[in-house]
Amino acid sequence: MARNVEAAKCKNCGKLSYPTHFYCPSCRGTKFEPVPIQGEGTLLTWTRVYALPLDYADLFITLGIVELDMGVRATGRLTIAEPRTGARVRATIGKVREINGKDVTGLVFTAA
Amino acid sequence: MRDVAIVGVGSTQFGRAQWSLLKMMCEASHDAIVDAGIGERKIDAVYVANMGAPRNNRQAGLASALVDRLNLFPTAAAEVIENGPASGASAIKHGLHSVASGLCDLVLVCGGERMQEVNNFEATEFVSFLSHRYAEYVYGVTLPSLAGMFTRLYMDRHGVRPEHLAMVAIKNHANGALNPKAHLRIPVTMEGILTGPEALNNNPWVAEPLRFFDCCPVSDGASAVLLAPAALAKEFKKTPVLIAGVGQATDTHAVHERPDPTELTAVRLAAEKAFAMAKLTPKDIQVAELHDAFTILEIAESEEAGFFKKGEGHKALERGETRIGGRLPINPSGGLKSRGHPVGNTGVSQVVELTLQLRGEAGDYQVPNQPKHGFAVNFGGFGNNVVATVLKRGV
Repeated sequence: MARNVEAAKCKNCGKLSYPTHFYCPSCRGTKFEPVPIQGEGTLLTWTRVYALPLDYADLFITLGIVELDMGVRATGRLTIAEPRTGARVRATIGKVREINGKDVTGLVFTAA
Repeated sequence: MRDVAIVGVGSTQFGRAQWSLLKMMCEASHDAIVDAGIGERKIDAVYVANMGAPRNNRQAGLASALVDRLNLFPTAAAEVIENGPASGASAIKHGLHSVASGLCDLVLVCGGERMQEVNNFEATEFVSFLSHRYAEYVYGVTLPSLAGMFTRLYMDRHGVRPEHLAMVAIKNHANGALNPKAHLRIPVTMEGILTGPEALNNNPWVAEPLRFFDCCPVSDGASAVLLAPAALAKEFKKTPVLIAGVGQATDTHAVHERPDPTELTAVRLAAEKAFAMAKLTPKDIQVAELHDAFTILEIAESEEAGFFKKGEGHKALERGETRIGGRLPINPSGGLKSRGHPVGNTGVSQVVELTLQLRGEAGDYQVPNQPKHGFAVNFGGFGNNVVATVLKRGV
């Protein structure tokens, strides 16, 4: 079962952060509410990577940084054949890597 | 606090090591000891810069092992400093503190890395451990992929073209070809890597828009410096070079979380601190070694450090200002691109190279007009921990 990827909303000041921090980057608060990363966003930058680390059988993978409408940025996989900066994308959850024989799920951005 | 001088430097050949990591480090240390002429003096402390030995070379406790191999018992201190690709400059900073404070008089700082003991997949993998574990690493993020995304954004914003990236590689390969210790002593041309009919076969994608010749090689190598109080420096053989300033700064772990992901804020802040400590400005610098693990980084760092305005670095490069003989030679040693990038060692080798330049001992790649001040950026992670160093010729 795919797990959500979660940002953290500070219960003190409302600042949304991803990835999470022990202290809130705005107010040093320590209590957070998890907020699933979802919805649409805009592709800020991307790369097709050919020099892959272990665990990959692919010829290349496509990675990007997305500015989500919900108010955080996130790095994730792209499944768009011809990505371009500024494209609208949608956050989904899917398999992103296999580590020690186990599937790891995470953010996969598709065309919106 | 006491002023601190570099009184000896040493380095192995970079490339593929013929010997164990520890033997390479002994060679570099011995070179520095002979270079300084320490006579009967005792070495008070040993700081080792390394990132991958426990994983790649099955060796932990590298500083203790080096003390043993060199018979330096009983040194006051022996520690490994691991700060990713900025380990080298971090270790020198620790050496500086221990001499400046008066705790130690003679300190050996040795950086060493032997990456070719594992294959390239393993090497890429262990360097990618620097990325954020669950916001980057699990997606297959590597350092080249972070650099690729950074490069695309930088090109869009500042008008940098693939030709400019290639110009960095061409300049640094030309310089490295003159450096007998460099890893890749192969001059390359624009036709060969970008515009000629075979160029794109010679220079395939690594992480778009970065190609093979935009990335540093995976190198083995060791370098060492000996530090002493400036007041004692005349007791050693060579012209002393003072560590005039060191600055360090950090930034967010996940690159996407930076307010502007094209800003290398930690480079800017580290450089500002180093210049403030040295009471110098970027205009005073006559030679620089920047952390060109990827070609774009030389351009971006030259701007963040204050040598050129934002968006002007690639124009200065195009005008030839950063060549040997130009207004500010950058990476006369060949840089990481050609001299090589044994990750944990690199910051030490940058300081060794600048010391040779300031002494006038750099041979075929000597910067003209007797440079007095040198500057280095040692870039850790993807810019989340950066150390800048300002050196000044003594006497």
